[in-house]
Amino acid sequence: MTNDIGLENERTVKSWRRSGGSVYRKILLYVILTAIAIVYIMPVLGVILTSFKLNSEIVMEGLWTLPKALHLDNYKEVWFVANIQTYMKNSFLVTIPATSISIMLGVLMGYVFSKLPFKGSEILFMFVLAGMFFPPQIVLIPLFKFYNTVKLYDTLWPMIITHSAFGLPICTLIMRNFFSSIPKAIREAAIIDGASELQVLLNIMLPVSLPALAVLATLQFTWIWNDFLFPIIFTKSDSMRTIMVGLISMKGQYSIAYGAQGAMAVIASMPTLIIFIFFQRYFIKGMTMGSVKG
Amino acid sequence: MVRNQRKWVIIFSIIPLAIYTIIIIIPLLSSFYYSFTDWNGFNQEYNWVGFENFAKIFGDKFFINAITNTAIWMAAAVVLPVGCGLSLALLLHEGIWGANLYKSLFYLPICLSLAVIGQVWIWIYQPDWGLINVILRALHLNNLTLAWLANPKTALLAVIIAWAWQQVGLAMVIFLAGLTSIPSELIEAAEIDGASYMTSLRHIVIPLLSPATVVVIALSIINSLKSFDVVYMMTQGGPFHTTDTLAMFMYNESFKKYYIGYGSSIAVVLFLIAMVIIAFYFRQVRELEHLYD
Repeated sequence: MTNDIGLENERTVKSWRRSGGSVYRKILLYVILTAIAIVYIMPVLGVILTSFKLNSEIVMEGLWTLPKALHLDNYKEVWFVANIQTYMKNSFLVTIPATSISIMLGVLMGYVFSKLPFKGSEILFMFVLAGMFFPPQIVLIPLFKFYNTVKLYDTLWPMIITHSAFGLPICTLIMRNFFSSIPKAIREAAIIDGASELQVLLNIMLPVSLPALAVLATLQFTWIWNDFLFPIIFTKSDSMRTIMVGLISMKGQYSIAYGAQGAMAVIASMPTLIIFIFFQRYFIKGMTMGSVKG
Repeated sequence: MVRNQRKWVIIFSIIPLAIYTIIIIIPLLSSFYYSFTDWNGFNQEYNWVGFENFAKIFGDKFFINAITNTAIWMAAAVVLPVGCGLSLALLLHEGIWGANLYKSLFYLPICLSLAVIGQVWIWIYQPDWGLINVILRALHLNNLTLAWLANPKTALLAVIIAWAWQQVGLAMVIFLAGLTSIPSELIEAAEIDGASYMTSLRHIVIPLLSPATVVVIALSIINSLKSFDVVYMMTQGGPFHTTDTLAMFMYNESFKKYYIGYGSSIAVVLFLIAMVIIAFYFRQVRELEHLYD
């Protein structure tokens, strides 16, 4: 059985490419691609450029010119004056636990579905997987009521708990597929030698699962960090805002300070950008697996 | 051994399944229950009203408006990511030097939050100094400049394009994965037989890409049903409800007006649409698998 997560399998089939072709065709291709790329990336460039401009410069030149010098005033402003440090802290306090918990739950369920099948486990698997396609709106009202009742409304807990649950289907799916690619005999030999299932999972399965765990970590971190539906519903006070909700509320407060808005957007996107730059292969793998296998 | 195995199944599954049940399954069922009540969120008491909410929403012109906008969104969600994503994937599959750099550039929006994307695109559509109008004025096309997000005629399309900007990258990734799995012999054989690029594209590549296409379409439609974030950030459903989607409408009815029973019935409709699409998607996927086996 082929390994689903093996990152090297992309080139095993000699895939079709247009070979040959004239130099002019190549040049034309570059020109087209570069033109599209510039248009495509313009929105991102606009924000980055604006974040380094002084307000006076923005008034004079608008948003879409190169800054004369890289001023850090906007970054100082949002970092020290606005509440951004609290928002960033809250986002980390939600994202890191929720990412870890959802992966842990997915590891447990994935192990059960791949290595300990029982009568009806296929149906249970479909039942868990279905959660991947539920629009979150279907649970918002009851959860809002639930968190109010258990006095967790307006804390960070609702986001941690809800994201852990919503992450379970994709984490279970990817871990199940990965564990299925590990030969059965390895587990059986360990069990005969007297190891418990927990020992098999922790000492044999997990150490070789790093690629799958990396895929899930990048995917879950990005989704949870970027979400702002749950924080909008489950929190109300400024001190509980995550960075994305903070960004929205700043839009009112700094409605004409475009430089500050730009700086805030850059800071808010930094963690997921860093993940994207350093773990792009895992990230893309997860994106395609989550969708293709779904 | 078997009994021991069963013990571990229970130990491993109990916490995940408990969380899944409490946070997703029970609330899901509760939403169905509330959709048959007149609960307004403040009172402790509420009455069972049967299908009254559902009868009411299908007579509510704002609901009809929201479901129409969602349908338009879905149609655009099929056309834009499939068209643009496929074109980009084909261009990038030509094996040029530096293709990975271009790919990364087009992937980039995937890692951004829709809050950030919404904000960026507000700047692009802004009437006075937004990018589109700046370019139009530079081209002396002043009469074409519009307040894109404030104009009821353009607002919905403007929001959809901002959203599609992110989806195109995702579609491209899936199409590229599909393209790499097409064996070169097929195309080479066709080329030897004298087939042109467009012919092999139409008769070999695109048909072989149909699994990827089904995935892209299903994903786009499901994502478009959830289209709340970008609307919330950019227009909040305005101007004059022209960008109200089902998800946005449900939010306003439930959490702004506290019509909990009514909001629940909107959520139920949204859920049922999603399930119908998913059922259709899985049937398509199964048929495709039969086709290739």
